Amino acid sequence: MAVLNIVQAVKRALDEEMARDERVVVLGEDVGKRGGVFLATEGLYQKYGPDRVIDTPLAEAAIIGAAVGMAAHGLRPVAEIQFADYVFPGFDQLVSQGAKLRYRSGGQFAAPMVVRMPSGGGVKGGHHHSQSPEAYFTHTAGLKVVVPSTPTDTLGLLKTAIRDDDPVVFMEPKRLYRAIKEEVPDEEFTIPLGKAKVRREGTDLTLIAYGGPTVEAMQAAEELEKVGVSAEVVDLRSLVPWDKEAVLESVAKTGRALVIAEAPRTSSFASEVAATIMEELLDQLLAPVYRVTGFDTPYPYVPDRQYMPTVTRILNFAKKALDY
Amino acid sequence: MIKDTWKFQPFTEEPIRLIDEEGNWIADFPLDLSEETLKKLYRDMVRGRLLDERYQIILRQGKTSFVAPSSGHEATQAGMAQAIRPGFDWLFPYYRDKTLLAAIGYPVEMLYAQMMATRLDPNKGRQMPEHPGLKELNVYTVASPIASHVPPAVGAAISMKIQGTGQVVLTTFGDGATSEGDWHAALNFAGAQGAPIVFAAENNRYAISVNFEKQSGSPRIADKAHAYGFPGYHVDGMDVLASYYVAREAVERARAGLGPSLVEFLVYRYGPHSSADDDRVYRSREEVEFWRKKDPIPRFERFLEKRGLWTPEEGERLREAIKAELLEAEAKAEAAGEVPPEWMFDDVYATPYWLLEEQKQILLSEL
Repeated sequence: MAVLNIVQAVKRALDEEMARDERVVVLGEDVGKRGGVFLATEGLYQKYGPDRVIDTPLAEAAIIGAAVGMAAHGLRPVAEIQFADYVFPGFDQLVSQGAKLRYRSGGQFAAPMVVRMPSGGGVKGGHHHSQSPEAYFTHTAGLKVVVPSTPTDTLGLLKTAIRDDDPVVFMEPKRLYRAIKEEVPDEEFTIPLGKAKVRREGTDLTLIAYGGPTVEAMQAAEELEKVGVSAEVVDLRSLVPWDKEAVLESVAKTGRALVIAEAPRTSSFASEVAATIMEELLDQLLAPVYRVTGFDTPYPYVPDRQYMPTVTRILNFAKKALDY
Repeated sequence: MIKDTWKFQPFTEEPIRLIDEEGNWIADFPLDLSEETLKKLYRDMVRGRLLDERYQIILRQGKTSFVAPSSGHEATQAGMAQAIRPGFDWLFPYYRDKTLLAAIGYPVEMLYAQMMATRLDPNKGRQMPEHPGLKELNVYTVASPIASHVPPAVGAAISMKIQGTGQVVLTTFGDGATSEGDWHAALNFAGAQGAPIVFAAENNRYAISVNFEKQSGSPRIADKAHAYGFPGYHVDGMDVLASYYVAREAVERARAGLGPSLVEFLVYRYGPHSSADDDRVYRSREEVEFWRKKDPIPRFERFLEKRGLWTPEEGERLREAIKAELLEAEAKAEAAGEVPPEWMFDDVYATPYWLLEEQKQILLSEL
C-alpha cells in the first residue's frame, strides 16, 4: 500500500478518473504546467494535454460557469478554485446556474461537475485564505457538499463526486493537505457520498466533526480518555447529503453531543446538525447539544489557530455537557 | 483573421443593412436564398409577433402571470434562427426570444405550456413564464439572472471544440447583460479558447428603464469584441436579411474553427420591459412611434412584394392561419392541466435524498 497525503490523494483521484473516463476534464487557474498552486494537478497536463487540463483566465465566474456548460454538453468537468475564499465571483454560476439546472429544466439538463476548493484555516492566510464557506452551499438546493478529512476518504469521495450526476462542491481542508499521511489501498475504490464514518468508538459523548477539526476532535477524545471519558468521534465527510442516521445512532447511545466545525456558528451546518439531534432525540439527551465552532468574526491573521475550535475549546464544551 | 471571402467587415460605425426602408436589396452581393426560405423568414416573424400579442391576451385572462414583450425583435430572431442548425447546434437564449424559439421548431404548445405552467411544459412548471428550455432541440433552459447563461454557453462551446463535434453555440442577451461581470468573463474566456460561439446582443436600447447611454460609454456593443480578440458586427436588427446573413457568417466562422463573434442587433421593443413595467415614465410615445414606423415586418413585406412573393391578401391569409394555429396550441397546452404540487420535489438531485423525502411527506400531509 502506498502512503499518501491529501494532496496526493486528490491527484491520484483525478488521474484515475481521467484515465477511466475521457469526458473528465480539469480546469482552473494554474492547473496546467504549474500543476496548481498546491500541486494537486501536478503532471496531469503533461499526461492528458491542454484539451483536458485547461488553464483558464483568472475569473472564477468563467471557470465555474464554463464547467456548468461543459457538463450540460456531456463532459465531466472538475473545476479548481484556488482558495475557497475566491469562489464568490463564481457564486452566481454555482447557485443560479449549476445548482438549479436540473431542477429548472425539469430534469432535461444536468450539471455533473465538481468544484474543488482548498478550504479552512491554519495556514497563516488571513481571512482571504482561511474561510470555511460551506454553509453558503449547503443552503443551496441542488448542490452536494463534501468535506473529507483523510487521504483515503479524499481519494474515495472525490472519485465518487466526479462520477456523481449532480454538481458537487468538494472542500479540501488545506491545513491537512500535507499534515496527514496514511496507507491507502493500491486497488481502486470509491466511498459513497452521504455516509459518515465513526473514527473512534465511545459511550459517554459524541463528537461530530468534518474536515479540518476532525483532527482536534480525535485529539480531544484522547485527552478525555485520560480522564476516564469515552468519546465517540463521528466524521460526517459529506454535508449534502448528510448521514442523519449515523449521527442519531451515535447520540442515542451516548446521550451527549458536540458538533464541531471551523466555520462561524451563525447559520452554520453545525447548527443544522445540532437542531436535528434536538428535534429527534430530545428525550434521550442528557445535555444540550453544543456547537463548537469558529467565532462570528472574520477569520483573523493572528491569532490564527485560536480562531478555530481548539482542543481546549472542545474539552471545555465537553465538560459543560458532562457536568450538565 | 478576416478572409476575403467573408461578406462583412466588423466594427463598422454604421449598422450593416441589406434592405432599405422601401424594401430594396442594397447589398453588394447577390441574394442566394430560395423563395421558400424568404417566405419562412416572413412567416417566422409574423408568428413571433402574433404570439407576442396573444401572450398579452392570456395575461389579461389570468392564464399567465408574466410576459416579456418581444415585438420589434422579430427580424433579428427569425434571421438568427435561419442561421443555425436546430437540434444540432446549441442555443442559450434569454427571456425575450419567443420568435427565435418558435422559428427553430420549439413546439408552440410547449411555449404556451411554459407560460401557463401546465404538464405539457418539459420544464415541469418550475420557472416563471418566458423561461422555456428544450433538450430535444438543445435549447438550454432560460435563467433569470442577467448574463448568467453566457459563461455556461462558453463552456458548451469549449466542450464542442474539445470533442470536435462541429457544433456551434448561439447565445442571446439584451444590452443590459453586457454590463455584467459574467458577460465579460465569458467573452474573455471564449476569446482565449477560440470557442465556436456566436454572442448575439439584441440591443433594444433599454435595460428596463435605463437607456444604453447610461449602460455604457461605448457607442456600440459590437466594439467590445475588439478587446476580446474577435470580430464584432453592428447590424440593423430590424432588417431580417442583414440579421440572417451576419448571423450566418458568424456561425460559419465558428464552425470553421475561427472562433467567436459578437453580433450586435439594433432593435427596439415596442412594449414595456415586462408586464410589470410601465415604460411611459421613461420614454416618450413619439420615440416609440418613431421605431414602430421602422417595423421589420412591413419592411420585409415591401421587399417580398417587389419580388412577387407577397400580396396584402396573402399576408392576411397567413395571419389568419397562424392565429388558428396559436389558438389550437394554447388550447392543447391548457388542456394538459396544472402541474401537481408534489412535483416540486423531483429533479433536485438525480437520486433520492432522505431529507427531501421527509419534506415531501410534510407537503403531502397538507394537501
